[in-house]
Amino acid sequence: MIQAESLTRFYGDMAAVKNLSFHVRRGEVMGLLGPNGAGKSTTMKMLTCFLPPSSGEATIDGVPLERSLDVRRRLGYLSENAPSYADLDVHTHLRFVGQMHGIPRATLDDRILEMAGVCGLHTVIHRRIDELSKGFRQRVGLAASMLHDPECLILDEPTTGLDPNQIVEIRHLIRHLAEKKTVLLSSHVLPEVEAVCDRMMIIDGGELRAMGTSAELARLGHGGAILHVRMKEAAPAEAALSLMEEQFSDLDIEREEIDGGMVAVLRHPDPDAEMNEAMFRATVKSGATLLELRQETARLEDVFRRITGGQG
Amino acid sequence: MSRGWSICWKEWRVMLDTPLGYVVATAFLLASGFFFGKNLFLVGQADMRSYFSALPLLLLFFIPALSMRMLADEQREGTFELLATMPVRMLEIVAGKFAAVLLQVLTLLALTLVYPLSLSLLGHVDAGQIAVSYLASLLLASVYVSVSLYASSLSSHAVVSYVLGFGMLLGLFLLGQAAATLPPAAQDWIVVLSPIQHFGNMLRGVIGLEDVVFLLAVSAGFIALTWFQLERRRWR
Repeated sequence: MIQAESLTRFYGDMAAVKNLSFHVRRGEVMGLLGPNGAGKSTTMKMLTCFLPPSSGEATIDGVPLERSLDVRRRLGYLSENAPSYADLDVHTHLRFVGQMHGIPRATLDDRILEMAGVCGLHTVIHRRIDELSKGFRQRVGLAASMLHDPECLILDEPTTGLDPNQIVEIRHLIRHLAEKKTVLLSSHVLPEVEAVCDRMMIIDGGELRAMGTSAELARLGHGGAILHVRMKEAAPAEAALSLMEEQFSDLDIEREEIDGGMVAVLRHPDPDAEMNEAMFRATVKSGATLLELRQETARLEDVFRRITGGQG
Repeated sequence: MSRGWSICWKEWRVMLDTPLGYVVATAFLLASGFFFGKNLFLVGQADMRSYFSALPLLLLFFIPALSMRMLADEQREGTFELLATMPVRMLEIVAGKFAAVLLQVLTLLALTLVYPLSLSLLGHVDAGQIAVSYLASLLLASVYVSVSLYASSLSSHAVVSYVLGFGMLLGLFLLGQAAATLPPAAQDWIVVLSPIQHFGNMLRGVIGLEDVVFLLAVSAGFIALTWFQLERRRWR
């Protein structure tokens, strides 16, 4: 369980994060979305006790950030670019991380092998980290963050540098972990967030802009329902569109005659307006021949671009 | 404190796996051998006094080299974030790094024990004086390590850290050298404040309490400065 109340952090005069409040429940994966420089990493650095917040507070599993050592014991953190000790081999690095987390000597080696298995590090366990590819380093970072079996995982861009197969594996791993744990992950890869997260929040300029499930956010995308229609002859098509205008107030229709037929885009401010069924009936009634009827579903990209001012 | 030891252990692993430690050790032993052998063969005097008087200058070059990457590289590689988000106190991090470098210097000094051993084969040596001189060297080394560790916390570039550490230590070193050129009133102060003077006092073979306390206090002072510096970085 992660709970943040009005977290704020200034760098000099510039506010990197402003008044950010949210909570992540146990068994939930929360995605933190935002363009570069939106304050994602700063938020994570505050939650992991690396940077003290300028104001506001947060608790990790009920432990306030002030009890920093207790908080850090409960957290697994993968920071941006997954830093690890390049001069050490994978096993020694993980051993060091395990010692720092106070994992008993008797179980440490087993635990390292287990996490190496989960993260696919078996083949490189005795290789120096500076000889490894970006993807392997990322997995070393993931293994290190999960080594002490933390209650909460905070992952800053966990899948950057991985190939598509690895991305799928890591997604499965995160989903699997999330059954028992609390996960907060950041990303600017939208399909990833949609695939992995139960809920997500979008921040921009350090402020929370939207929060919810992907379906809830998608509705914010174009702020209403959109229907694309193509019909065969223009005259009965016009009659069908008039029927629609009678039925729905506030309906905005964009029409265009192409090759004697009609292509139209119908927009309604209410995202729950069920226009597709009404459109079908209208064409039947007016004798128009329907060639295509498509309800546009908002994509997360649209929401993201809309909310963050098109810098997505 | 066990986490401090884990950090110390990790630094040893890094030193054993990378060339820097071996390069520094080789260069130190070569230079040591020169200063020891010079007196023995050229002057024909079988004692270690000239070796120990050269040691402050010698360590001036080598200790910043052993310490430079300790904190600078952690900042540069981003591993400091990894370290600082694990359940370890900032002071334990500094203590672990300090212990790691000091143990490396201790190992180097232990290797020079062949000098007094070989001297003892040639004739009578004052074992007590040599033992106190080694203790004095260790205390002086701890001052040097704490100063150069502080230098390492000031920059994220190892080379900049080396230059800073070397500069600060050179300042301390010259403090003692310059004493003779100053008015007598100032000289008394300088003598009290120069680590080299306190080190020199101990070379006579006497463990003076004020010398030991002074050298330990300066080390503790710079360890505290390093600690504050690391904490301060988080608040900027």
